[in-house]
Amino acid sequence: MTRQKRSRHRLKRTVAPYLYLSPSLVIIGLLMLLPMVTVISYSFQNSAVLRRDSSFAGLKHYQAIFADPVFWASLWHTLYFTCMSVIFHMTIGMIFALMLNSDRINPTLRNILRVLYILPWLFTAVIIAVIWRLLLEPNGVVNSILMQLGIIGSKIEWFSSPETALHAVTFANIWAGYPLFMVSLLAGLQGIPKDFYEAADIDGAKAYQKLIFITIPQLMPIIISISLLDFIWTMQVFPLIWITTGGGPIYSTEVLSTYTYKLAFSSYNLSQASASAVVILLISLGLTLFYIRYQKAR
Amino acid sequence: MAEVILENICKTYGNSFRAIDRLNLSVEDGEFLILVGPSGCGKSTALRMIAGLEDITSGSLRIGGVDVVDMPPKDRDIAMVFQSYALYPHMTVFENIAFSMRLAGKPKAERKKRVDEIARTLQLTSLLDSKPANLSGGQRQRVAMGRAMVREPAAFLMDEPLSNLDAKLRVQMRAEITSLQKQLGVTTIYVTHDQTEAMTMGDRVAVLKGGVLQQVDTPKRLYESPVNAFVAGFIGSPSMNLFEGKLTGDELTAGTFAIRLQDAAFVRRPGLKSYAGRKIVFGIRPEHLYDSSLESGRKYQTVPAKVTSIEELGSEHIVHLNIDAVRVDSGDPDAVQDFGMASNAVAKFEPESAVRSGSEIRLALDDTKLHFFDPETHLAI
Repeated sequence: MTRQKRSRHRLKRTVAPYLYLSPSLVIIGLLMLLPMVTVISYSFQNSAVLRRDSSFAGLKHYQAIFADPVFWASLWHTLYFTCMSVIFHMTIGMIFALMLNSDRINPTLRNILRVLYILPWLFTAVIIAVIWRLLLEPNGVVNSILMQLGIIGSKIEWFSSPETALHAVTFANIWAGYPLFMVSLLAGLQGIPKDFYEAADIDGAKAYQKLIFITIPQLMPIIISISLLDFIWTMQVFPLIWITTGGGPIYSTEVLSTYTYKLAFSSYNLSQASASAVVILLISLGLTLFYIRYQKAR
Repeated sequence: MAEVILENICKTYGNSFRAIDRLNLSVEDGEFLILVGPSGCGKSTALRMIAGLEDITSGSLRIGGVDVVDMPPKDRDIAMVFQSYALYPHMTVFENIAFSMRLAGKPKAERKKRVDEIARTLQLTSLLDSKPANLSGGQRQRVAMGRAMVREPAAFLMDEPLSNLDAKLRVQMRAEITSLQKQLGVTTIYVTHDQTEAMTMGDRVAVLKGGVLQQVDTPKRLYESPVNAFVAGFIGSPSMNLFEGKLTGDELTAGTFAIRLQDAAFVRRPGLKSYAGRKIVFGIRPEHLYDSSLESGRKYQTVPAKVTSIEELGSEHIVHLNIDAVRVDSGDPDAVQDFGMASNAVAKFEPESAVRSGSEIRLALDDTKLHFFDPETHLAI
C-alpha cells in the first residue's frame, strides 16, 4: 500500500464516525442547542424579540427577577411541589408495587389492581387537571364525602383558596405521577432473587426486617435514578398547574414555569422571561449532572 | 447437633402431581448424607421441605427429636447453603456472615468475635470488608458456608452448593466441605445431581428417582450392590453397561455371543437359577471390561466388539464400542442418548491399549463382576 493510500484510509477512519453521527448532531443542534443559546442571549438584551435594535443589558434582567418577591415565592412553591410529589410518588409507588408483587393477594385481584393502579398514567395532564377540578369543586364529590364523614364543617374551595391551592395541585400531581415509580419498583422487586428472602426466612427475619435489609437496599439504584428523573420532570410541570389554578389565587400556586410563561406572554417582557428560563435551565442542569454522575458511578 | 428423621413424607402439588412419595430417611447425628438423583427427581423439594421452605403434604419430620412439620424455618434450628449462595450483594462479607446474629439482636462485640472465629476457620479474614461481587466463586462459596456456620445449627442443608463452580475448583471445594463437615461434626444433608460428588463426599448416599427413594447406602455398597438397574446406571461414571440377555444353563447369551458363568455367580445369587431359559438384564461397569491384548485382560473370556470412538484421558482411555447385544435404558432422564446408535457400550482401558477407532477387537470381561436385573421390574437379582 502506498503512503498516500494509507493516509487516505486513516482519514476515512477518522471522519467516518462523525459522518454517521451527523444527522443526529444536526437535529440536536437545531432543535436544542440553537433555542437554548438564543434564550440565553435574549436574557442579556434589552427588549429582546420586540425590537430589532435591542441593546446589551448585562445582568439587569437577572437583578430584576431576583428582586421580585413573586420569583422567590415561585421558587419556593416549585420546591415544595416537587419535593412533596417525589416523596409521595415514591411512597405510594412502593406500597402499590409491594402489593402487586405479593403472593398473598389473589392473582385475579392482583391483575385488576395492576390495571387500576396504572390508570393515572394513561391520562394526559389536561384530563387530569379537568378531573381534579371537577372532583375538588366547592360542590364536588370530595367536599361532599368529607362533609358527610364529618371531617370538614363547610365547603372548601380547594383550588381557589390561597391556603389550600398549592396542596391541592400537589395532590393532583402526586395522583398523576406515582405509576412511574410503581412500575419501575415492581420490575425491580421481580428481579430480587427469591433465595434472598428464603435465606432470610431461615435466619429468622421478620417481614419489616426483610423490607429494610433486603428489599430497599436492592431497590436503591432504582429509587435514586427514578427520584432524580422525577425531580427533574416535576420541576418543569406546567399544564397541570396552568389549567387548574393558572398560578393563582394571588400567586399562591405560582411556580417557575408559570412565572416565566406569564412574564413572556402576559407582560411581554421576553428578556426577563428569558432570564427566568435560564435560572430554570441552570437548576435542571445541576440535577441532570448529578444524575449522570450517579449513573456513571454505578 | 441432632438426627433428622423423615417418615412417610409426601409432597403433592395443587394439580395432584406427587413430587415426593412416602420418603423415609433417617440421618444420624453428625452424619453426612447425600441426596442424589437426576433433575426433577424431587431431591431439592425434599431438602426444602426439611428447611421449611415448602409445606409437607403428609408425613412426619423430626429434627433433634422435635416434630418440626408445623414450624417456620427459623425455629427448625437448621442452616441452609443455597445453590446461588444467596449472598446479599449490598452487604460486606462480615455483614453477610453476621446477618442472622444481627437479626437476633446479638451485641456487636459478640458478633465480631464469632464472625472473626468463623472467618479464621474458612480463611476469609482478609476478605471481611469486601462485597460479594469482588469475590471469586470459591470465596463466595466459603462465605455462604460461613453464614450457615455462624448459627451453630443442629443440621446443615446444602442445595447443590458446588454447581456454580468450575470443574477444578469443584474438586477442591468437595474436599474442603467434607473436611469441614468432619471437623464441625454437624449433621449435614447435601443435595446434588452429580454422582461423583455423592460418591466422594457422603457417609451415605440416598438415591431418588421420580420422588421415590431407590436406595440409601454407603457409596461403596451403592456401587457394588445397586438394588435396581436405575441405581446401577446412575452411580458410576461412565455408567454401567446394561444389556438384554438370555440365561441358558450356565450360559448367558446375548446377540451372537455367549458368556459362561461360574458356579460362584449362582451361589451368590440364589434367585438367578429361576431365570434359566428366560430373558434377563445384565450389566457390567466400564472398568470391568478389558483390552484382551493386554496383560490385564488375558485371563477373562472375550466377546467380539467394534471400537467406534476413543477418548484418551492420559490416565485411561474411555472406549466407545458396539457389541452385538440390545442395550437397556436404566431410566436416567439425564443420560445422554447416542442417537446414532453407533455405540452401545463403554469401556475403560489402560493407557497402554493400542486399539484404534473402527477396529474389530476381542473385548475381555470380568464375569464375576456382572450384575443381573429382572427384565420387567429392573430389580437386582
